[in-house]
Amino acid sequence: MPGASVICLIWLFSDGFDWARVGAMNHAKYWFRYLCSCLAGLILLDVAADGAAPEETEARRSDRDWWSLQVLSDVSLPDLPDAPPAWRSNPIDRYVIARLIAEGLEPNPPADRRALIRRIAYDLTGLPPTPEEVAAFVHDSDARAYEKLVDRLLSSPHYGERWGRHWLDVIRFGESRGFERNEIVRDAWPFRDYVIDSFNQDKPFDDFIVEHLAGDVIGRDRPDVEIGSAFMTIGPYDDVGNQDAVAAANTRAATVDDMVTATSGAFLGLTINCARCHDHKFDPIPTEDYYRLKAAFDGVSHGSRVLATRAEREHLDALKGPMLQKREALAKARSALEKEILDRSGAAASMDLGQRPPPSASRTEEQWVPVEARYVRMSVLSQSDNPGSGVGARMDEFEVWTGGDAPRNVALASGGAGVSGVAGAEAKDFDGAYSVELVNDGKYGARWFVGNPPVLTVTLPRIETIERAVFSHDRMTESNSPIAGLGPMVTEYEIEVSMDGVSWMKVADSTGRRPYNAALARRRALRTATGGEQVELDRLEMEIAAVDAGIRKMPALPTAWMGNYHQPDGPTRVFHGGDPMKPGAPVLPASLQVFQGGLDSYELPADAPEGERRLALARWIANDGNALTLRVLVNRVWHYHFGTGIVDTPSDFGFLGGRPTHPELLDWLAHRLLQHGWRLKDLHRDILLSQTYRQSSGFRAEAAQKDADSRLLWRFPSRRLSAEEARDTLLAVAGKLDKRQGGPGFRLYEYKQDNVATYVPLDRPGPETYRRAVYHHNARASVVDILSDLDLPDNAFAAPHRASTTTPLQTLTLLNNRFVIDMAEGLCERVSASVPGSPEESVRRAYSLAFQREPEDVEVMAGATLITTHGLRAFCRAVLNANELIYLE
Amino acid sequence: MTNHALDLNRRQFLSQMTTGFTGVALAHLLGGETAGATGGRAPQYPGRAKQVLQIFCPGAASHLDLWDYKPELEKRDGEQLPGEEGFSSFQGVNGPLMRSPWPFRAAGASGKMISSMLPGMARHVDDIAFLHSMTSRTNTHGPGCIFMNSCFTREGFPAAGAWVSHALGSLNDNLPAFVAIQDVRGEPPNGKANWSNGFLPAQHQAVAMAAHQPLRNLALPEGVGLGEERDTRDFLALINGRHAERHPGEGELRARIQAYELAARMQLSAPRVADLSLEPAYCQEAYGTRDSNRLKAAYGRNCLFARRLLEQGVRYVSLYCASRASSVDGLLNWDAHRTLKADYERHCPVFDGPTAALLDDLKQRGMLDDVLVLWTTEFGRMPTRQASTQGRDHNPDAFTCWMMGAGVRGGVSYGNTDEFGRRSVEDVCSAYDFYATVMHLLGLDHQKVTYYHNGADRRLTDVHGHVIREVLS
Repeated sequence: MPGASVICLIWLFSDGFDWARVGAMNHAKYWFRYLCSCLAGLILLDVAADGAAPEETEARRSDRDWWSLQVLSDVSLPDLPDAPPAWRSNPIDRYVIARLIAEGLEPNPPADRRALIRRIAYDLTGLPPTPEEVAAFVHDSDARAYEKLVDRLLSSPHYGERWGRHWLDVIRFGESRGFERNEIVRDAWPFRDYVIDSFNQDKPFDDFIVEHLAGDVIGRDRPDVEIGSAFMTIGPYDDVGNQDAVAAANTRAATVDDMVTATSGAFLGLTINCARCHDHKFDPIPTEDYYRLKAAFDGVSHGSRVLATRAEREHLDALKGPMLQKREALAKARSALEKEILDRSGAAASMDLGQRPPPSASRTEEQWVPVEARYVRMSVLSQSDNPGSGVGARMDEFEVWTGGDAPRNVALASGGAGVSGVAGAEAKDFDGAYSVELVNDGKYGARWFVGNPPVLTVTLPRIETIERAVFSHDRMTESNSPIAGLGPMVTEYEIEVSMDGVSWMKVADSTGRRPYNAALARRRALRTATGGEQVELDRLEMEIAAVDAGIRKMPALPTAWMGNYHQPDGPTRVFHGGDPMKPGAPVLPASLQVFQGGLDSYELPADAPEGERRLALARWIANDGNALTLRVLVNRVWHYHFGTGIVDTPSDFGFLGGRPTHPELLDWLAHRLLQHGWRLKDLHRDILLSQTYRQSSGFRAEAAQKDADSRLLWRFPSRRLSAEEARDTLLAVAGKLDKRQGGPGFRLYEYKQDNVATYVPLDRPGPETYRRAVYHHNARASVVDILSDLDLPDNAFAAPHRASTTTPLQTLTLLNNRFVIDMAEGLCERVSASVPGSPEESVRRAYSLAFQREPEDVEVMAGATLITTHGLRAFCRAVLNANELIYLE
Repeated sequence: MTNHALDLNRRQFLSQMTTGFTGVALAHLLGGETAGATGGRAPQYPGRAKQVLQIFCPGAASHLDLWDYKPELEKRDGEQLPGEEGFSSFQGVNGPLMRSPWPFRAAGASGKMISSMLPGMARHVDDIAFLHSMTSRTNTHGPGCIFMNSCFTREGFPAAGAWVSHALGSLNDNLPAFVAIQDVRGEPPNGKANWSNGFLPAQHQAVAMAAHQPLRNLALPEGVGLGEERDTRDFLALINGRHAERHPGEGELRARIQAYELAARMQLSAPRVADLSLEPAYCQEAYGTRDSNRLKAAYGRNCLFARRLLEQGVRYVSLYCASRASSVDGLLNWDAHRTLKADYERHCPVFDGPTAALLDDLKQRGMLDDVLVLWTTEFGRMPTRQASTQGRDHNPDAFTCWMMGAGVRGGVSYGNTDEFGRRSVEDVCSAYDFYATVMHLLGLDHQKVTYYHNGADRRLTDVHGHVIREVLS
């Protein structure tokens, strides 16, 4: 009964069966299940045979005839005798109204001018219009008033900040490395500025795409083009440095996968990454295609690189050259003199400079004639990694012992002793991590990091007669030298005691010990220099230091986080199951095989230079014949104008993605973009001038019954402001917005790094953070007030569609966060500066600034009462929390 | 203030929602009262557990030195690991086998062998189901922690608590559904990604709070008194109400008005639940909240705080004992690469007493009928000593986690590692199976709680996971 077997196999697999488990599981159990399911299958088949024939099942996946993979259709405009006249001229309106009529819906009337200017100002610049701008537009009698507004906003420098930010979402832009270490990336901002500038210049998008994948190839000596290729390495990656070869190979595979995923999602709207381990389960992408694409990125790795023209590089080299030569000459003179001293003393080779054994990592002891003391002090003079200084040494315990038959360690904290000393490292999020208290806690293991000055002072609880000190780097080791990774140990020191903490007496030091290592021996030997030699050595040191300082002061060439390139070692191979330990057949760097005509494919030799691979891929993606790229791009533009795309999954045009609500309109827009030479501003203009865009957002219950989400656009979809718009609005309304553009970003967190990075939100960000939110240094896995509350996406992934949530935590932030209070105070200043008059006047002025409208009478009355009772700040705080401030009609 | 828009009762209000999302968000805000009204709030079938307490010991707490007794390892201390002499792992070459520095002792009626460093936990072994055959997909702490929390090694995916919040919502209107209590020593490896909502809507992310760290932005701003607060909120309600009236059909506006009301209630309830001084002295004593070991006292306070959150109906509490990897190992977390004995003699006393007290307390209050307790870490440690050290390197091939409480069979040891604890060999399981089981105990089919994101219907257990029925009671 083959049918039954199929059913039971399906049943087995439906539980997430995986073969790897079979070995580990009880076989009998599975066979029992298998038999049971065969029986069940037989019964089911009987039932099915009794009933009607099962309906033909819907396609479970897409094939190469999938709609998004076809060439652009030759669209014709629909005939619309019944449509309202205003909706018949713009082709966009004709497609929209045709669908509305077909569904028995009608569009809304045009939005009022206040609503319209607020809508379009936010849409194009992310900023509220000023009250003056609103008034001017509302009263503009010019028939072309709206067209003028569209043109003004499209040419605003804030347009690039708004639309560039959209693009940064799409390409998972983040300014820290991600994963465990998550170190901040300080020079990613030139790429952010490049994106903003490209939008502002209305750079043809096909050029923009090519620059993203091969800016370094086509833009040699042109930093403004080269920087585009930072796209590939602007995602997260794991830089922890795994010594396990298998794990390291997996990490690299995941790093390249991020580039493949970002490229296919952003430009092609394909989830090619689903084909990393097997043929795509839903789309016509064989696993070989994944690796063909991957071949383009096999030579790309993360990192910073100098971003400068050749002239800039040569200029700096010319400046630095003589100084480097001078430094070399000085260093040579110094080594010659040192050699002379060492040869003479004959001591450099010998370690025999003392009678006692050298200090040990596990235990070093000093003994002296018993003495009464209240204080004990150890000065660390050198450590095992640096014969010149004790700073950086580490110590797990320091003990001070009394004599007699029952000696006591009187330095213990538990006995009342105190210790002081500077910690050479700080964990910041946990202040005790490397502190001096670790040396007298009676526990081994964790260590004090000796800071500067490298001095430990122990205060005994009372005067004691003491005769010994014992200290260690790692008491529990059996080794005399530190275990690798635990840092250096103390190698030279002095121990002093005191009764009053003022006058000290030396009781022990390390001079009688043999030097710990050759570096220390050499250092000691150099101390045999004659007076004249010492003067000369000091002079050379000073001159070298002066030259070094000069070199440091020279302007460094700018760098950017735009990755590094190397030619891959061998051919790219398919990894079976996505496992780099299971390499399969080699593939060539080549285009995807999914398209049905209209686009030439390419295939490069296995050893093609890696830059050429990227350039070929870029030109194939950004090709006039690549219908998918065009469709995905115009859909993104539509998505950001209307809140939802014609396809509602902007980075997924495959089987699991949405289907277009207006397929002909989508293709018409794609054709249009080609006519505009891939320039977006003309496409925006087409859309913004449509009646579809200009209609009101008014709600009609009967229309909502048919199309609740207004996917067919019977009304303009209202929306909440994005995180950045909301924060920028608070600043703008408060009169605090700093509109300076570009450059390094500001931070809404304190950055702490101690092996790994931690981002701690600031409690009160100051005016240096009052720039537009697009300039926030968006580190990964950081959570900051307002932006994170209002759905700033986690930039671990591309965020082609932002959430817009409503939570009580948002409201707590907007009510209580110190930044919002500061903005409320800013609004107070603005209001009282312009209207020193009555509370009623203050209400009117605040409404004008925040909402660009006159308040209702009841609002004036209630607002004035609040001002009179609790002051203007209470009122302004409420205004900044109003729904009206962050919702758009 | 009377306002028609606000006079709707909650159920009418929900039915007026115009967008699916807002409906879900609001149902979440309204919690149990609307269970079933929008679907997905009630379990898919009757579950045994209603709440989860997950204790996480970051740094890869050694199975070989805490839970997984290996007599062969004791016997062959100092010998090479057969078949893997001098193999390389995360930090490099490994040396010979190394026995645990402390003896194991039989505990409870089940006679379970447990490290003598955990005398408190020894009291509970008869209630615990140990999973000795866990494996991870990574040998690196950060990816390992988020794998153990989200079943994915890269950040950006929702943590288990976020999925549970998404599936079941909150039991308490006035507190978040998912709370992450981080250690006084800081965040675990990969930080906030461990309790992220990932691509799920923002209300499912854990709210970070601890005994030492109040809920952010909860306190009234400086200089704002209660009277001003009340009048400001009344005015805000008035203007938001007028605005909503002018925009009928915009459910989101009303949801936000409700959110302000919920926030006000949260302002009353959150400080109360965080106020440990309301607990009697014997309780403080048991948890060690005033212990002279400041790390133990801080963790003890967080244990007590966790119980108070669970009592108030917080759905999922993640409680961390230790934090990230520092410049050196030893003090901040369980990552004992070089000096295992010294390190664990710090960590075990911090963990053992307060955790055992918390479990005693949950049991005495009958809370284990509803609360599922999980103990997790990101992976295990090698049976060998790391070359020329006294510590152990990372081992993703074998480690122990455990479960206890609602629906869990106690006194069970599921799965096995090999004779040295190097690899899981019998009934091998992983985070996928672990969370398939957790979801099952909550009345959820792990394959049916899904969310569309960037081209795939995602779920907590990726495309894997089997319920481990052997640990169910």
